[in-house]
Amino acid sequence: MLPLEAELPPVEALDESAEYPQVQLDHLRMWFQVGGGLFRNPVAVKAVDDVSLALWKGETVAIVGESGSGKTTLGRAALRLLEPTDGRLLYAGMDITHAWQRDLMWLRRTAGIIPQDPYSSVNPTFPIYRILEEPLAVHRIGTHAERTERIYRALESVKLIPPELFQMKFPHQLSGGQRQRVAVARAMILGPEFIVADEPVSMLDASVRISILKLLRQLQEASGITFLYITHDLATARHFSHRVGIMYAGKLTELGPVGAVLGEPLHPYTQALIEAIPDPDPENRGRERPALPGEPPLLTTPPPGCRFHPRCPIAKAGLCDVEEPPLRELRPGHLVACHLAS
Amino acid sequence: MAILDVRDLRYYYRTRRGPVKAVDSVSFSIDAGKTLAVVGESGCGKTSTATAILRLLPRNVDTYEGQVLLDDHDIMAYSDEEFRKEVRWRRISIVFQGAMNALSPTIRCGLQLAEPLIVHQDVDKGEALAVAREGLRSVGLPEDVALRYPHELSGGMKQRVVIAMALVMKPKLVILDEPTSALDVMTQANIINLLKRLQREASLSYLFITHDLGLASELADDVAIMYAGRFIEVGPASRVYPSPRHPYTQRLIQSVPLLRSEVAPDFIPGAPPDLTKVPEGCPFHPRCPAAFNLCGWSVVDLQGFLEQRSRSTPGATHAGSTYEAKGAWKLVITPRKGMGPSAVVQELQALVARDAATTPVLTAVESIAERSGRAIVTLRTAERPGFTSDDSRRAACWLLTETGGSHAAA
Repeated sequence: MLPLEAELPPVEALDESAEYPQVQLDHLRMWFQVGGGLFRNPVAVKAVDDVSLALWKGETVAIVGESGSGKTTLGRAALRLLEPTDGRLLYAGMDITHAWQRDLMWLRRTAGIIPQDPYSSVNPTFPIYRILEEPLAVHRIGTHAERTERIYRALESVKLIPPELFQMKFPHQLSGGQRQRVAVARAMILGPEFIVADEPVSMLDASVRISILKLLRQLQEASGITFLYITHDLATARHFSHRVGIMYAGKLTELGPVGAVLGEPLHPYTQALIEAIPDPDPENRGRERPALPGEPPLLTTPPPGCRFHPRCPIAKAGLCDVEEPPLRELRPGHLVACHLAS
Repeated sequence: MAILDVRDLRYYYRTRRGPVKAVDSVSFSIDAGKTLAVVGESGCGKTSTATAILRLLPRNVDTYEGQVLLDDHDIMAYSDEEFRKEVRWRRISIVFQGAMNALSPTIRCGLQLAEPLIVHQDVDKGEALAVAREGLRSVGLPEDVALRYPHELSGGMKQRVVIAMALVMKPKLVILDEPTSALDVMTQANIINLLKRLQREASLSYLFITHDLGLASELADDVAIMYAGRFIEVGPASRVYPSPRHPYTQRLIQSVPLLRSEVAPDFIPGAPPDLTKVPEGCPFHPRCPAAFNLCGWSVVDLQGFLEQRSRSTPGATHAGSTYEAKGAWKLVITPRKGMGPSAVVQELQALVARDAATTPVLTAVESIAERSGRAIVTLRTAERPGFTSDDSRRAACWLLTETGGSHAAA
């Protein structure tokens, strides 16, 4: 069997005429104010801090990070569900950083989200038909017959066949995998160009996971959707995305083609992350897995310099704890934010 | 020497839709200082296996039977009070799934740790707290964690507290029920390293329950693959991983995306069965790419098969069969005129012997009796594929029997 990467169309060859990336994050910051009171100043949680990322039409970029690394916030900001604190967000070259929500109805039609938890993301009192009809109703699309046609086609595209049967079921009558297919169908029903898939399979069994991710790839091949795949699972990122970005404490630490980042990780955090993940192998039994001690920093008070330096095995005093490393392109298309990488 | 030996454990829940066969005739053993990893998809009965062993039963128990031998004593025979005093926590403890939420938010960690000592061993509080601090040190936490409340700790630290809690009575067997499923990969690796070290130091035995084949390989000496309430393959990890025998195990391994390999993962079509309606025969047969007719045989099909066989016995004029229980069948055969029942029995015995060699359904003739001129034959059949042994490895699949193999080839 061909390696998966080869099956996916190469990104450069996708659309020569496209001048702008589908979605572009330009030095984006997303800070939240928490706490505060009469005698206390509120503190800023720097969930996403100075992240630049461009997604080209038809590609899947995986954002991998531990919980609390800011990856979900990044996804929500990329959809303008949050208004960035600083930086710019461009959609097909158009600056929508501070656009009003009511001027963004077109964006809501062309960009969608697949949420993490298929159990809580669909209204339990709605039948599947109504769950899928709602986006159409909100955007006042189609007559009743046209909507039904669209809903049936969407259900067929996510392999909930026959659609006549599934459209009248309620979420509790479906398995976790089937519910997630409904969530995919809902994200797809308006014919989007860009979808943020926020941990779409982390609640599902291994086999169901693969079936959903394969489905997403088929949909991408059929209609050239751009995916931002947010996950904590490097292994699925490897097999189902073109490029991968590693996030740590609100920063993008490494970004590049999947094969390069996982084959030759340049950032010590990426290296440690890869080391920590076991593939099924009985040899694992006899050895201890190299794992970094400690925990990621609090996003209210990230350490100065490189945010990873307190846990970094190769950190250099006087450099890493003082100066923040910029994201540098060390190999073609392969960027890393580390002073010591070469 | 097996520290835990489970034989034919059945544990069904009662529901309005009928019994949920969460654990169905499960047998396994764990040697001292070793780990058995139980791997399966969600809802296959992994956690029920753990709660059945620890006798943490809900009210709607339908069936709870079998043998659980702990150091050669059948602990199923213990009364609930004996079990609570002698077994639970003292000799078998458990680290629960989502253990971050297993701690009481209003009690300091030290006291939570010391509680079983105070309750079970009548140790005074100061002494118990000292043991608790010792326990915290052994899992790599500073002693002052004893004075902190759970919300002051990170997920990884809470998990360490929960592990310390499971070890505080110094049990020899610890059940780990998805001990790292809510943790980040780096924390997970640290916890797994800790579990390895603790096992080495105290020669603990683990029953490690997980859905993650990669993680299972970190701890497993033996691995058991569970599907629809049954163990379908059991064997040393060193053999099951590289050459799985059961088609389900093979597909399950193929469905794992590998970080270090280009080989694309593939999914298993279909979904695991509802445990109130487990398919007859091999529970995996509706999804199995290699299934053949025998795999889906039901009791009714077997009955037909037996009747046809006994009819074809020379000398028999009348045949009927009844299903007794647990794979035992009673055949009643009236001999033809001029023939004694013993002659029929001889014929039938020869036939069954021949069938047993070619048909894995028939396993043995239990007894043959003559009664008022009729032959009454009790046969033992398998309702579902039994384990075929291959050295230390067992897999429940017809294809692995001689006849099954030829079926697959044909």
